[in-house]
Amino acid sequence: MTSTSSRTRSSRTSRLRASRRRRAPSGSRTVWIVAAAVVVAAAVIALVAGGGGHKTTAGSGSTGAIAEFRPVTVTGSPLAALPQSGPDPARGLPAPELRGQTFDGQPVTVTADGEPKVVLMVAHWCPHCQREVPLLAKYFQTNGLPKGARLVTIATDTNANSPNYPPSAWLARVGWPLPAMADDAGFTAARAYGLSAFPFFCAIDAQNKVVLRVTGELSTAQLEQVLNAARTGTVPPGSP
Amino acid sequence: MTVRQVSLFLAMLAVVAQASVVGLVVVNAGSGSWPTLRRWQAAVSQTLSLHGLTLAFCVAAVATAGSLYFSEVAHFVPCRLCWYQRSAMYPLVPILGLAAWRRDHHIRPYAGLVAALGGTISVYHVLLEHYPSLEAGACEVANPCTIIWVRRFGYLTIPVMALSAFALIVTLMVFSRPTPEGAR
Repeated sequence: MTSTSSRTRSSRTSRLRASRRRRAPSGSRTVWIVAAAVVVAAAVIALVAGGGGHKTTAGSGSTGAIAEFRPVTVTGSPLAALPQSGPDPARGLPAPELRGQTFDGQPVTVTADGEPKVVLMVAHWCPHCQREVPLLAKYFQTNGLPKGARLVTIATDTNANSPNYPPSAWLARVGWPLPAMADDAGFTAARAYGLSAFPFFCAIDAQNKVVLRVTGELSTAQLEQVLNAARTGTVPPGSP
Repeated sequence: MTVRQVSLFLAMLAVVAQASVVGLVVVNAGSGSWPTLRRWQAAVSQTLSLHGLTLAFCVAAVATAGSLYFSEVAHFVPCRLCWYQRSAMYPLVPILGLAAWRRDHHIRPYAGLVAALGGTISVYHVLLEHYPSLEAGACEVANPCTIIWVRRFGYLTIPVMALSAFALIVTLMVFSRPTPEGAR
């Protein structure tokens, strides 16, 4: 039994060896020479044309006077995370107060100052934000900035390894007309508002109560509804 | 090498893979009508019967290495769909490697099917990159599949590179038929 099995193994090995000996016909080597040449050519072109200097690790996030992260302080209780569906548990609760800075260090606040406002949180890497921000920027350039409610932009979840970094350059490039608060590296502002997805909108009324929180791309008409919710303190029917 | 250089290198290999797929399909489809293509098809068939499995192994190995480079060196965090594609590509490396070593052409339908499934996921991922609202109207905070980490030549993103590799493996599995001159 054992010798039969060993003979079978030996015969299989011989067949494999013979088969490998057979596979060196004339054009055979050409295939591998061509394949190797293609790989080497691609590597050489990549080395020459690929250039250098792509950031792979998070740096300080600071370039001269511009910093992608700025300290943010929160006063008040953080809001629960916005659920994907169902009623918003934060509706009617006091909005946390935020004190932060723009990318170039100018103060930006979201405080109980009696003014209705909408907080918009965006992430530079988010494709939905990359579509929403230019859309709104164009709308504001054409129609002017919102009246009767202040729109506060916060750039958060910033990551130097992610696409479309840095957010300061992105917002400048798309002509964002409003000062944007740079969230800190712990994303304090985002956590305080219970951010669950991007882009994130939170309407706050004149009494500093949360009226509405929504996520996702909004049309300009839907944005007006969110602004109206902040102005009136009520959620209009059909609002997002 | 920097991340830009490696991504350019992999993008060029993806272009070569795409050209190879088109070339193989054209040669095989046109061999019935044009004598020149028939001659080429005969030569290609013989070459692939000998080396098709090894070439497919090399494609899977390079795709796997590239995927690991992007996640482990460049720190591009793989999303859910990336993991699905990885689960199709990674096993092909040992499977095709062993089959190439043993010259076991019986692996072709199995490896081809796995690669086709991976390619289908890649197609969906590419669609999602172009139409982010297909899946959701908002970006999840935790690494959504709509992020485009790399874009080369205007269209080569990581899922497109993966799709190129899957497509070439499927094509090689289809056309690497064993011949009497080849192995069993």
